[in-house]
Amino acid sequence: MQDLDDHQWRQLLARLRRFAVWLTRDPGSADDLVQATVERALSRRQQQRDGEALRAWLFTILYRLFLDGKRRDRLHARWLAWFGRAEPDAEPVGDNLEDIVLAQADLQAFAQLKDEQRALLLLVSIEGLSYKEAAQALGIPIGTVMSRLSRARTALRELTEGAPQPPALRRLK
Amino acid sequence: MTRLIPSEDELHAYVDDRLDAVRRAEVQAWLASNPQAAERVEGWRADARRLRAALAGYAEPNAGTPVNRQHLLRQARQRRQRRWAAAAMVVMALGVGGLGGWHVRDVSLARADLPMADAVQAHRLFAGSQVLDIQARDAEQMRGWLQRHFSQVGQLPDLSGYGFTPVGARLLSNEQGPAALLVFEDGSGRRISLFLRSPGEHYRRMPTGQRVDGPLEARYWSHGAYNFALVSQADDRRGAGVGEALRLGL
Repeated sequence: MQDLDDHQWRQLLARLRRFAVWLTRDPGSADDLVQATVERALSRRQQQRDGEALRAWLFTILYRLFLDGKRRDRLHARWLAWFGRAEPDAEPVGDNLEDIVLAQADLQAFAQLKDEQRALLLLVSIEGLSYKEAAQALGIPIGTVMSRLSRARTALRELTEGAPQPPALRRLK
Repeated sequence: MTRLIPSEDELHAYVDDRLDAVRRAEVQAWLASNPQAAERVEGWRADARRLRAALAGYAEPNAGTPVNRQHLLRQARQRRQRRWAAAAMVVMALGVGGLGGWHVRDVSLARADLPMADAVQAHRLFAGSQVLDIQARDAEQMRGWLQRHFSQVGQLPDLSGYGFTPVGARLLSNEQGPAALLVFEDGSGRRISLFLRSPGEHYRRMPTGQRVDGPLEARYWSHGAYNFALVSQADDRRGAGVGEALRLGL
């Protein structure tokens, strides 16, 4: 990680950010997530890797941090509910995302997938990680990767195909 | 021939281009004669392609994203420091609040446990003293003095039926405002005192009650704008009667 040149570094950050944006569906928290990932990676110099392994490792860190954040949010929501301030359930597609997505129906369908399915499709189809690397990054056995991949693709197919295509711009803000 | 029928996993691996060349050709051949499966696989592949195209733009380095390692490290350090500072503040606030709260609890417990403790204290300090603010040998004089200082108080009853005559009175004060100690004495020199003051936040209005504190006994009640306490010797049997008379009169 130390010997990446500026261009490689930029590219790596951009890919991490893309993963984070589509994991969190919120550019703001995606930046925080990338930042936290790099922090953690830099603080663990002894575990440093190179090349492809480095990329997979960074995705691993990012995904773990994302899950931790989710857990915290759930806890937070439970506390709020305890005090009688129940938050409405998170919409499947955040408002923030609609700004990003705009007319792209494909992305709207993708954004509706479950977190875990989105994460896997991002790693396998977009980032080109091998099944083994994806399994490591998500902390699941390779068998689970395959079955989850199958479910994710089926779900995405249904969302893109089955549902009538939404009008290009559903909401203007 | 089972080797020729690809598993679901293999179909995905075919889409992701993770099969070796030989197997890849076999799967391709199999798909050619299985249009239904081919359609499925083509759908997955099309989805992936569209997704890649749609997301391609998101891998562009964003202007808002810091790209400089030193900058990132510096931010990380600042963030850590801020986090520590926040944690320290919380610990301090908890500490101050906790200790303070504990202290207040002690104080309020002491007060809550001993209703009209100040009355007993005043009796100890002043009831035996000859130096009272006023020397009032007759009940009428005492009544006048009381009315002057405490406008909302009722009629001070005549306690001569119990053998007590007024000795004098003393004006006191605490943080709640003025308080008064009225001292009475019987023929044999035994003294009782009546204490009254406004209820305050530490001295709340309280239910009628009594308690023994060492050699003294306090009977206390709230009425009108004041809290009252009659302090007498614990072995003085007249305490109950005098207390009752005062409670009715004031």
